[in-house]
Amino acid sequence: MTALLELRGVTVSFDGFRALNDLNLSLQPGDLRAVIGPNGAGKTTFLDVITGKVRPSEGQVLFRGRSLVGISEHRIARLGIGRKFQTPRVYENLTVRRNLELAVSRRSPFALLFGRLDGSAQDRVQHLLRVVGLDPQAQQLAGGLAHGQKQWLEIAMLLAQDPDLLLVDEPVAGLSDEETDRTGQLLRSLAGDHTVIVIEHDMEFIRNLDSPVTVLHEGHVLCEGAMDTVQKDPRVIEVYLGVDDDHQPQP
Amino acid sequence: MLSSSSSGGSLRRWAPWVLIVAASIILPAVLPPFRLNLLGRFLSLGIVALGVDLIWGYTGLLSLGQGIFFALGGYAIGMHLSLNSLEPGQLPEFFGLYGVKELPAFWQPFASPLFTLVALWTIPALVAGVLGYLVFRNRIKGVYFSILTQAALLVFFNFFNGQQRLINGTNGLKTDTARLFGELVGSDAMQRNLFWLTVLLVVAAWLLCRWLTRGRFGDALVAIRDDEPRMRFTGYNPTAYKTLVFTVAGALAGISGALYTVQSGIVSPQYMAVPFSIEMVIWVAVGGRGTLIGAVLGAVLINYARSLISEQLPETWLFVQGALFLLVVTGLPDGLVGWWRQGGLQHLLAMLGRAPRASTYPGLDLDPSVQAEKSSFLSHPPGGEP
Ligand SMILES: Nc1ncnc2c1ncn2[C@@H]1O[C@H](COP(=O)(O)OP(=O)(O)OP(=O)(O)O)[C@@H](O)[C@H]1O
Ligand SMILES: [Mg+2]
Repeated sequence: MTALLELRGVTVSFDGFRALNDLNLSLQPGDLRAVIGPNGAGKTTFLDVITGKVRPSEGQVLFRGRSLVGISEHRIARLGIGRKFQTPRVYENLTVRRNLELAVSRRSPFALLFGRLDGSAQDRVQHLLRVVGLDPQAQQLAGGLAHGQKQWLEIAMLLAQDPDLLLVDEPVAGLSDEETDRTGQLLRSLAGDHTVIVIEHDMEFIRNLDSPVTVLHEGHVLCEGAMDTVQKDPRVIEVYLGVDDDHQPQP
Repeated sequence: MLSSSSSGGSLRRWAPWVLIVAASIILPAVLPPFRLNLLGRFLSLGIVALGVDLIWGYTGLLSLGQGIFFALGGYAIGMHLSLNSLEPGQLPEFFGLYGVKELPAFWQPFASPLFTLVALWTIPALVAGVLGYLVFRNRIKGVYFSILTQAALLVFFNFFNGQQRLINGTNGLKTDTARLFGELVGSDAMQRNLFWLTVLLVVAAWLLCRWLTRGRFGDALVAIRDDEPRMRFTGYNPTAYKTLVFTVAGALAGISGALYTVQSGIVSPQYMAVPFSIEMVIWVAVGGRGTLIGAVLGAVLINYARSLISEQLPETWLFVQGALFLLVVTGLPDGLVGWWRQGGLQHLLAMLGRAPRASTYPGLDLDPSVQAEKSSFLSHPPGGEP
């Protein structure tokens, strides 16, 4: 079986500084993968290079065997790659419902002008509003939501887009424990039908995901494996966990 | 209480429209031809302002070069009117001054009224579309976009100024003495008709912009304005959207320029002067960016104020305009219409002591138990005594 996503020897340098350094990683369809690593390890850059925001100076990024290098962001997104950002990014001057409607719509200007949102798309919006518990806020401007609600709206927007590969950057930062649990359940339930990469600092959350973990350090894969094995790896302890055993979620 | 607040809301919404409709019915009857003509000209500027609002207010593209498209529309109609009342074989007069014996090829199609009617908005739209596509594809935005549009404006301005033999250079083209349907363009009767035509086209342009901005397309514009990269990562191509609205704004500017030309009697490179294009942005800012009606109102009110003030005290207008702009930028970020919709008038009246201070829940003021509690609270503030 060909990998859904494969990075081969990817290097990204910013003025000589290597944010990613000979990164290799491969995901099969349906995988759920957690990515951890200290601040500045290159986790966000890793997503940038997949989604076309930055171009690797060396190496290959393959999606279903097809190279993504040099393809513009919106085309990569249309191939079925969706992304949630580290700080929640929603369209603040649109209502919650309209944020979701943009996410389920077809992307061409003419489709938006002349087409109406069909029944199944409307149902999907309604369903997602309920899934993330924002039904009562549907008509409110997204800018007025609380931080956690914005996180969830963005997750809902990602789901509305219905990508094959979901790249989720720090989904539980600023969420309450209960919300964190529900987010974990949601992501786990997506795996199988979707391929999911989750970046987090919250170790408890990662452990509950119960998925293989990739540890990034200085732009390179330090090690891969189950959470328990990874945590015992002396290299990991040295660079990451050893520093601060009960690592807290990012503020 | 609910019904009263919602009727207050719709009053706030519709009052500007009531004002406009009433004005366009009453004013032609009461205004002398000179004033009516001024109003018609300023209304036609409302159309270019709608375009500015579309690209700047909704999509975040601050163009300082809308004068290009405005002038192109004006020249299209100006060329037609220079040609349409000539005897066969005759040339527009100015060509004689420069010894031009034959009509330049690009003039010829403008002899056709139909061609002109189409060209006066498609040519500006096309120029805007091509310029926009090149700029947006290269992801030029923000200040760089503004500077670039202003540079393009200067290029067009200098080119038109220098082309005496093609389009009469600095002098421009006069339209008043031309005839349209056998009537002098500058005549009172014709000007009155042009006023009505302008009113119709302002409404049509407003409806078009409303259609563009109300639905999901408008949402996409706002989303591009607020977070363009995020739109890209969701699969939207902002270049397509921006090029499209910039093209529409170009077409609107062309129509506006043509209407303005026939009502002022001349089109000249002055329409591409730098300050004029900046003023278009000021009209929208003062009227209320992101509110379509604000764009039209801003254009009409500011220009009318300018003509009134300039008649009395010619030197003061620039200061007044500058002060107005500063006032709006600092005090009314959503412009006059935004301020009005947020209940600004009530606040102002309250400040002046004319009306009860706006209270969020008017019902509370009538509820005796609340009043009783309030007065007891006032006489014994909690924690007031040690
Ligand atoms: N556009 C850029 N220009 C220069 N340096 C950059 C750029 N983007 C990222 N970097 C650097 O690359 C390194 C990796 O950054 P990245 O954001 O990928 O880290 P991260 O693992 O996501 O960290 P965090 O946990 O804080 O989110 C950092 O040292 C960062 O300063
Ligand atoms: Mg990061």
